[in-house]
Amino acid sequence: MRGRWQWVTWALLAVCGVVFITPFVWMVETSLNYESPGMDGQEGLLGNYTLAMERMGDFGRLVFNTTFLTVASIVFQIFTCSLAGYAFARLHFRGRDFLFILVLATMMLPMQVTVIPQFVLFQSLGWVDTFLPILVPALLGGNPFFIFLFRQFFLTIPKEVVEVARLDGCGTFGIYWRIMLPLARPAIGAVAIFTFLMVWNDLWWPLIYLNSPENATLTLALAGFARSFRVAIDLLMAAAVIVIIPCIVVYFAAQKYFIRGISLTGGKG
Amino acid sequence: MKDALLLAMILLSAAAGSLNAQGEEIELRVMVTEPTFEAYDAFLKCGHDFEAAHPGVTVKFISEAGGGDTLTKLKIMLAARQPLDVVWIDIIDFSQFLDDNVLLDLQPYFDADPTWNREDYFEAPLRAFSDREGHLYGLPSTFTPYVMYYNKDILDEAGIAHPVQGWTWSDLRAACLEVTKDLDGDGTVDQWGISVTQWLQAIAPWIWQNGGRFMNEAMTRCTLDEPAAKEAIRFIERLLHVDRVATSDATFQAQFTEGLFQAGKVAFYGPVGYWETYRFKKITAFEWDVAPLPMNKTAATSIACRSYVVCRNSAHPRLAYEFVRALAGEELERVLARIGNGVPGLKKAAFSEDFLKLGVPPESENVFLDVIDHARFQPVFANWRDIERRVQDELEACFLLRTISADEACARMTAKANAFLKQTVKDRARPPVSFRAAGTFVFLGLGLLVGLFFWRRGPRPSRLRRREERQAALVLAPWGIGFVFLILCAMIVSFLVSMTIWSPIRPVDDARWAGLDNYYRLATSGVFWKSLFVTAAYAIPAVVFGLGVALFLACLLNKAIRGISIFRTVFFIPAIISPVAIGVIWVWMFNLDNPSSGLVNQMLALIGIDGPDWKNSQLWLLTVFILLGVWGIGFQMVVFLAGLQGINRDLYDAARVDGAPGWRQFVHITVPQLTPVIVFNMIIGIINAFQFFAQPYIMTQGGPGSNSLFLVLYIFREAFRMNHMGYASALAWVLFAILLVLTVLILRSSRSWAHYEGGEA
Repeated sequence: MRGRWQWVTWALLAVCGVVFITPFVWMVETSLNYESPGMDGQEGLLGNYTLAMERMGDFGRLVFNTTFLTVASIVFQIFTCSLAGYAFARLHFRGRDFLFILVLATMMLPMQVTVIPQFVLFQSLGWVDTFLPILVPALLGGNPFFIFLFRQFFLTIPKEVVEVARLDGCGTFGIYWRIMLPLARPAIGAVAIFTFLMVWNDLWWPLIYLNSPENATLTLALAGFARSFRVAIDLLMAAAVIVIIPCIVVYFAAQKYFIRGISLTGGKG
Repeated sequence: MKDALLLAMILLSAAAGSLNAQGEEIELRVMVTEPTFEAYDAFLKCGHDFEAAHPGVTVKFISEAGGGDTLTKLKIMLAARQPLDVVWIDIIDFSQFLDDNVLLDLQPYFDADPTWNREDYFEAPLRAFSDREGHLYGLPSTFTPYVMYYNKDILDEAGIAHPVQGWTWSDLRAACLEVTKDLDGDGTVDQWGISVTQWLQAIAPWIWQNGGRFMNEAMTRCTLDEPAAKEAIRFIERLLHVDRVATSDATFQAQFTEGLFQAGKVAFYGPVGYWETYRFKKITAFEWDVAPLPMNKTAATSIACRSYVVCRNSAHPRLAYEFVRALAGEELERVLARIGNGVPGLKKAAFSEDFLKLGVPPESENVFLDVIDHARFQPVFANWRDIERRVQDELEACFLLRTISADEACARMTAKANAFLKQTVKDRARPPVSFRAAGTFVFLGLGLLVGLFFWRRGPRPSRLRRREERQAALVLAPWGIGFVFLILCAMIVSFLVSMTIWSPIRPVDDARWAGLDNYYRLATSGVFWKSLFVTAAYAIPAVVFGLGVALFLACLLNKAIRGISIFRTVFFIPAIISPVAIGVIWVWMFNLDNPSSGLVNQMLALIGIDGPDWKNSQLWLLTVFILLGVWGIGFQMVVFLAGLQGINRDLYDAARVDGAPGWRQFVHITVPQLTPVIVFNMIIGIINAFQFFAQPYIMTQGGPGSNSLFLVLYIFREAFRMNHMGYASALAWVLFAILLVLTVLILRSSRSWAHYEGGEA
């Protein structure tokens, strides 16, 4: 019985998997298909990759900038959003529902119409061409998406657990630190991975706020390399693959964490 | 306040000037772009040479990302008055920039420069970047007139003479009729006459060749309903839909897929510019060349052109001018000629070996130089992009969708364009925004919000509760500070802007008060309702199927079977590929402009299904986008997976002891336990689906005929292409209201159906 179901699951996954992976396979294949009529191109299977690495300039600097932004954003987002999520899920205060709607509302106005006022604000603070316009909103404000995610996870933690902790003498912060955070590890993992992927992949905010090449991120440098996507798709795809390979590796490695999450949420696993 | 600012700016620039005199470091801020990175190297070299020749000057190239994104960044920088010296703009945007007064008139600098000789450059691109008084604002990098590409082999086989200067529409039509045939005898045509290009710059020559015009002399009225223009549109319509010798695979977006011309299946391709020679270098299966466009009553062609210009707020205009001269100088022009992305504006470079490249196709490169004399421009007119958009929509409805005839299209685009022109005149007469009134308004708005908050707060609670409230305030502080200072301010400003007429590249005190007119305008605009329909018709199925597929996959992936971590990765990958790459991949898979050669239709053909024309039908085009949405549900899937793993295993063990089968466990344990996560994914899914933007921007740019004009794409286009920031903000606030209502409804109703282990929602 179990064995047969496993087979069915496996077959279903394999069929769906082929559908989901085909475009990515084509992407990698195209990136290997070196055909740019460049002036002094590299030959060979990895020609586009060699070319991209050569052209990106100070690769170490780019990786450092991107990693710094990503790691700092992850820490800031987890700090701010888990606190806010905790307040909205488990603390009692007047106007809570109204404020929570406000949190969600900040996601609803397309950034196309707020980008200029925000840019003017950061410019008047002298923050243009620094990392601050990307980092400060992660610390102050946080991503409403993550606040919501934390709130939903904190809401699923049984009341009894909190009451026992309160009887043991835990205060508001004690419950957050000793009960909520450890139990919400899968959510923290999800937020960490999502933040990683969002910041690592992001082109828009680095493009708008970073002007100097020494402040550039990986995506920004690669966008310059793949600028010719209307004439050279292979370069575009090579650039895209370079950006997402670390994402795939990190995701692949970190997902074990979700699995471990099972045994930590109180069940037998 | 305003005067103080102005004074400060004058003092600052004076200070900068004096620094200059003392030989201090000067930074020249430059944002230029070219479609190839080889050209970018040449820019950098030009900058270094300039630094060497001007001690104390550094040329700073500002990071950009090519093409459209760079234009958006440029507009944001101009809106915020970021210092900029030299930038690069397209002829389509020139009149807008000129009208908004952000460019520096370079004529005095040219006049004072003994090394300047106008004769060194082609007249056409210079005229393109001059104002009505003839003052020159910039120098060209490369430009291109539109010509006709042709497949020599097909013409030779049919015994048709190669086209030369002076060939006519009837020659073209006769040749097309001759070569259009079913070669393999399977009953469908597999060789066509012409791939006729579909964007306005490419359609314009037909109208001009027939003696037609876009606007009357005074630029007050659109004249596309005059017989000459109508006849030209009818001619293209006839080639496409009556003679059936033309294919419509040559849209603007089609330029990143292999078209029928490259496949050797079509005799002519055009009107189109020089940039295609760069792509066609890969063609080895047949020989091709270029010819002037066929003429009718007269010969005419359009021009695409990009020039280096100086920003009005440049702190070092003289140096900026000199750098423009360097950028458009011989060395860089020769490099661009060699790369082959356009015709160099400098004659010396255009007539050189670097450009004419003997032995490399096209053989007749000189055609590009010969036809320049017939080149015309689209009207120099601030709102050209608006007119273009309105015209393009109707032409697509006629040529691609076939929902209206050529005559109807002409009547409709003329009516729309004229209505728009009338509205523009009215807008110019509006009063400027009173900033006192605006300030009052902001305070009233904030007061209302605070009032609402206290009103909703309810009665004063017990002491214990008050302590908890104080702690809550502390816990919420990092969010609250950011919300008020970083988010709320920007939101209020955008709400204010939604009640003005304001081009974002003009100073904000140039904004004109419009009250609720923008809202009235959108409510009465067909485009808005169409866009809302498209968005909803995409969002509802995308959210429903997306949730279903994500939950289904998450359940499968929640099993401990061999290779599960690989599967978990596979299903997540689509969510992290950059939107540009995704757009290109999907265009390729469905081959929107030429569906029968796309992967999807080839697969369908294998199982005997004749695949649809994905692009030119509203239903199928939305299907493509819905599939794209469902394909990228990785984030939701991970959230479900995390939720599944948070479910207490004991519940399943108990159910198993009771002998409940798998599906009952799913319905009675999994789904109820998962409801908080379902609420989350539903709300986030709706918000994301209603803000769908990046992929359609790459794939279809809203077309054909607004069939994929998603709301945020519409907002983006109005804000950063048409420069109607007020109207765009009004659109955004309508979208905001829709999302707010939907979210509140879901949250309220979820109290009765969502199950929270913590006992409250």
